[in-house]
Amino acid sequence: MKRLLYALLLIAPPFTGAAELTVHAAASLTNALKELAPVYEKQSGDKLLFNFGASSLLARQIKEGAPADVFFSADEAQMDGLEKAGLLLAGTRENLLGNTLVIAVPADCTIIFNSAADLIRPEIRRVAVAEPNSVPVGVYTKVYLSRLGLWEKISPKVVPTENVRASLAAVESGNVEAGTVYKTDALISKKVRVAWEVPATEGPRIVYPLAALQGSKEPGAAGRFLAFLAGPEARGVFTGSGFAVLK
Amino acid sequence: MSSTLRLSGLRAPLAPFALEVSADLRAGVTALFGPSGSGKTTLLEIVAGLRRPTEGSVRLGERMLVDTAAHVWVPPERRRIGYVPQDGALFPHLSIRANVLYGSRSARRGGEASGAVPAAFSFESVVETLELGPLLDRPEIASLSGGERQRVALARALLTGPELLLLDEPLAGLDAALKARVLPYLARVRDEFAVPIIFVSHHPAEVVALCDEVLVLEAGRVLAQGAVAELFEPATEPSYVLRPSAPLSGPARMI
Amino acid sequence: MTAEDWQIVVFTLGVSGLGTLLILPPGMGLAWLLARRDWPGKALVETLVALPLVLPPVATGLILLRLLGRRGPLGGLVERWLGVEIVFTWRAVVIATAVMSFPLFVRAARVAFEEVPVRLEQVARTLGRTRAQVFLSITLPLAARGLLAGAVLAFARALGEFGATVMVAGNIPGKTATLSLSIYGLVQLGQDGAALRLLAVSIVIAAASLWIAEFWLRRRTGPGLIP
Repeated sequence: MKRLLYALLLIAPPFTGAAELTVHAAASLTNALKELAPVYEKQSGDKLLFNFGASSLLARQIKEGAPADVFFSADEAQMDGLEKAGLLLAGTRENLLGNTLVIAVPADCTIIFNSAADLIRPEIRRVAVAEPNSVPVGVYTKVYLSRLGLWEKISPKVVPTENVRASLAAVESGNVEAGTVYKTDALISKKVRVAWEVPATEGPRIVYPLAALQGSKEPGAAGRFLAFLAGPEARGVFTGSGFAVLK
Repeated sequence: MSSTLRLSGLRAPLAPFALEVSADLRAGVTALFGPSGSGKTTLLEIVAGLRRPTEGSVRLGERMLVDTAAHVWVPPERRRIGYVPQDGALFPHLSIRANVLYGSRSARRGGEASGAVPAAFSFESVVETLELGPLLDRPEIASLSGGERQRVALARALLTGPELLLLDEPLAGLDAALKARVLPYLARVRDEFAVPIIFVSHHPAEVVALCDEVLVLEAGRVLAQGAVAELFEPATEPSYVLRPSAPLSGPARMI
Repeated sequence: MTAEDWQIVVFTLGVSGLGTLLILPPGMGLAWLLARRDWPGKALVETLVALPLVLPPVATGLILLRLLGRRGPLGGLVERWLGVEIVFTWRAVVIATAVMSFPLFVRAARVAFEEVPVRLEQVARTLGRTRAQVFLSITLPLAARGLLAGAVLAFARALGEFGATVMVAGNIPGKTATLSLSIYGLVQLGQDGAALRLLAVSIVIAAASLWIAEFWLRRRTGPGLIP
């Protein structure tokens, strides 16, 4: 059904003026999307404006009426919220990417992790986790650690941060002994290393849904961008960054 | 207490000129006379220790207070020199009584080499001489008249038992009637307390009424020094003018 | 008002009060120097002191983070010698609020000292008091109203501090969350009701501080105090 919609949009006569698309995207997508942007802009003639941040914050801004054309969230809960509020352009939502949750430590840290339970060790005094009640990576962390019965013991050590990149920065600076980020974030930084990768079987299912928004003034251009993100070129960049491409 | 004040080669900046003074002053009341801007206040500040001269020395009696060549500097709180600036400079946050008593405690306590304060400077004698009795219990210094302020400031300085008293135009800002009322108090201080006084003024009538010697300053330099009678002559009453032929006497010299 | 709300209020009052107390002595010292002395490089000192006033608070917070972080020049030293961490603890909150209020206090204190006539201090010296005694008996009492007003200003600024605090202390519930940080966090979470409750508390505290300060300042107009 979606493929049909995209096909229709693709063969629709192109707009004569260049469209400007405002894309709200999860912070963890920053590097990949910035890499893809010039490619797409050249191809389509449209201009892309990004707003990166915690998906929870972005969703809130959209609900409050911030002008946006596309929302690329790091979890389904935030997208569900917008869908319930009738803010999505019908038929455009799809789950595009997956990711892996990891525990990152500063590159020069010598502690070896055998499981997530090593977070309880006294040498780990502070753990950076993006706000565990709203930001996707924080919610995933809380779900995961609760499942293992570790959350009660670890939450006193938690330093809540704004978003996953803030957690990454905190680990890089050495001001915290560990932090939970996505594998894709850890791969970007030379100043951190992955101490523990949450196995797919144990961890919560991480899904990045993508949709065009009801309030978009450029639904055609938005649709074209969505099609591009699902295409082979984008797939190459995403897998190269460490994302899992669903389907 | 017949100490002399010796000023030697004192130099200090005094826009737009410079202060250059050498003089020997004896006990009694010496007037520091000259037009505005001639350096009278600056000289007082140097003697009191509130300003450093770029060169020169000041000796009070046996004590060297400042000597730039020998790197001697006695801070103002140890000079035992009373200083009453033009408007009295009473402390607005203290009562009249507290103002008067401000210095007396430390003088009696920290007398150092100078010894105890002489009985002549007792609280009772000062209050009596300056007739401050009824004023002491008034709480607000704001309610004092100009003349009353001067008397309170004088008493405050006297209670430290100073070896030298510097009065910077104490009668400035007072009308003729008030001046006439305050002048006798100054005379009484001169008579009762035998402390040498330097009295700054640019009014010849005051100088003649109160002082024995005069040091005349102009543009930062000593113009003349001598007995009042020699340097002043009566002019249109009740004023006086400097005699055109005023001879230079004493160790002062034109620099 | 829940128990957590009270904890946040008490914590905020505590760190703001402590931060204000800490800046009083160095603030008064620096203000006195700026008011009474001249020296080469004075303009540079004035600029440095004014920086937290003009820089965006997050910029100041970033500078503090680099300095006080565990691998930073100051933070590293403190951790090695005293075994004490600064960032992400209440100590960072106190430091951030102190740094942000410092220039306000120094400004007000400087003006207060400049308004004390130098002549009075000079006469007090001739009456036998040392510099320190003159400062305590003449300068300080006459500058008291201005100093108090400056302290209240500093306290109010500390209460409302956000940008620098969030950078260097984070918003850790129960440990570094002040009123401002908590309101922000609650809004982020979509808990507007709780946020409004804390907002009401902030208004009450701010108003109370102002009233107390006004009352205090008016009472000090005693006999002979320069208005």
